[in-house]
Amino acid sequence: MTDQGNIVKLRMGDNSLHAFDVEKVRLDFPILSEMVYNKPLVFLDSGASAQKPKVVIDAMDDVYRHYYANVHRGAHYLSQKSTDAFEDARVKVADFINAASPDEVVFTKNTTEAINLVAQSWGRKFLKAGDEVLVSEMEHHANIVPWQLLEQQIGIKVKVAPINDAGELLMDEFSKLLTASVKLVAITGCSNVLGTIVPVDQITQLAHAKNIPVLIDGSQSVVHQSVDVNALDCDFFIFTGHKLYGPTGVGVLYGKIDVLKSMPPYQGGGDMIETVSFDGTTFKEPPHRFEAGTPAIAEVIGLGAAIDYVNELGMDNIAAHEQDLLAYTTEKLKQIDGLRVFGNAKNKAGIFSFLVDGTHPFDVATILDRQGIAVRVGQHCAEPLMKRLGVDGTVRASMGLYNNTADVDALVSAINKAKEMLI
Amino acid sequence: MPALEKFQEFANALDIIDDDDMRFEYIIDIGKKLKDEDFPQALRTPQNIMHGCMSQVWLLNQPKDGKNYFIGFSDAIIVKGLVSMMIKSFSGLTADELDALTVEHVQRLNLGALTTQRQIGMMAMLEHFKKLGHIAQNIRDNKETH
Repeated sequence: MTDQGNIVKLRMGDNSLHAFDVEKVRLDFPILSEMVYNKPLVFLDSGASAQKPKVVIDAMDDVYRHYYANVHRGAHYLSQKSTDAFEDARVKVADFINAASPDEVVFTKNTTEAINLVAQSWGRKFLKAGDEVLVSEMEHHANIVPWQLLEQQIGIKVKVAPINDAGELLMDEFSKLLTASVKLVAITGCSNVLGTIVPVDQITQLAHAKNIPVLIDGSQSVVHQSVDVNALDCDFFIFTGHKLYGPTGVGVLYGKIDVLKSMPPYQGGGDMIETVSFDGTTFKEPPHRFEAGTPAIAEVIGLGAAIDYVNELGMDNIAAHEQDLLAYTTEKLKQIDGLRVFGNAKNKAGIFSFLVDGTHPFDVATILDRQGIAVRVGQHCAEPLMKRLGVDGTVRASMGLYNNTADVDALVSAINKAKEMLI
Repeated sequence: MPALEKFQEFANALDIIDDDDMRFEYIIDIGKKLKDEDFPQALRTPQNIMHGCMSQVWLLNQPKDGKNYFIGFSDAIIVKGLVSMMIKSFSGLTADELDALTVEHVQRLNLGALTTQRQIGMMAMLEHFKKLGHIAQNIRDNKETH
């Protein structure tokens, strides 16, 4: 444990040290040594997309340099090797989320595509006019709009479970909304704006008690804590590779095998069929049924490398480090006069949406950027939540496993500078 | 083309400042000088909004004697500074004179400190001025023919 880690622990009044050396971890991420406007980069935008460790970059480089070929097709050496690596990544994903079988892991291009897949395949087969999909007030657009498309296409209804001012789901209200007409609960595991960690285990139990299947948008939650779909018993669990320190262009749809088997193909094309004739075509079993066309081969293998990487660090160690940093950041931000943090849930990940009184979020983000600090600004693909919060947008600092107390100190100092310049 | 005195004044000031952070402070100062009363709340209507901006921008033409005089506002101070420079630089021109303004004019406002997105925003603002100039000219031409 380095001085930085010790500082976190000591300030938290906790002398127990866990095995996570953030300074050593930072060396795994080449981009963190970049300078921005002649200032050291402070990257606090991992909620939008995380940076990549060298092992991921190397794994993808290795594919293209040494064994790239299309998968599931050729009889030649390279194709066999790339297919093995590709399918090995599927096994890694299955183990990572504790799926019963790799067959329950479908590769998509991202979370958005995976939710659309469920909506268009499962939704169009099993939902009918008047059925309801229950979401929460803090969903990302990716878990709202695909269901709204179904509203237009087949007449379902999207129902919304409210949150309290701290940004926590109101469980009593949620239970009341679980009526007979609800045929699917589609909910985030962790709000990308508020950082709220949603009690998806409890939600799944409540829904299953009424035979309602559950889809979890795990884009944010899979990054901050270990996930066990077997223990959760959710029907679908969805996440994207690029927030989990992996490449862009690859996402994961986990579905219980019986559920996946009951679903028709989403897209048609190569690699998803058994036989094709003009008299009729038959389809492969899941997961290949849902992977039409050439997939993102190097990216899937890169995601496998990212999973190896976080496994080696240990998801529990990552979670403990992030919780330390969350507590440190919460304390530090409280000391800034006029700064309002949106989202104060008891169970929260390292995501801080904030506004500074008397300033516009775009101005604050611009001044932070000039000081080398990367944050996101705007509505964060969550317009309904912004409306609920009564704001047009926020600045959002989101933590990754590589952030340290020095990053937080730099953020605080930059916010104070922004206040001086703007007010 | 008239002398564009205010434009030259801004461009020269920005040329002299050789530090990007200082240029930002200069733009912020200009933004702070544009007061609420310079663009009354009643004018901040949907029809006066310039679409496509990440922050809200309102622009209005108050033409007189064939020349265009712009007022504008934004809820974000840096954008307000840019709006202020643009309206002061390019007010008092005819529609044809506005049409003659190019990307070089916008670049002369020394945008080294600004992101690509903001530079695109500045160009969009200039195009909006040209559009408002043509609308005013059409109204004027129609009045003269009737």
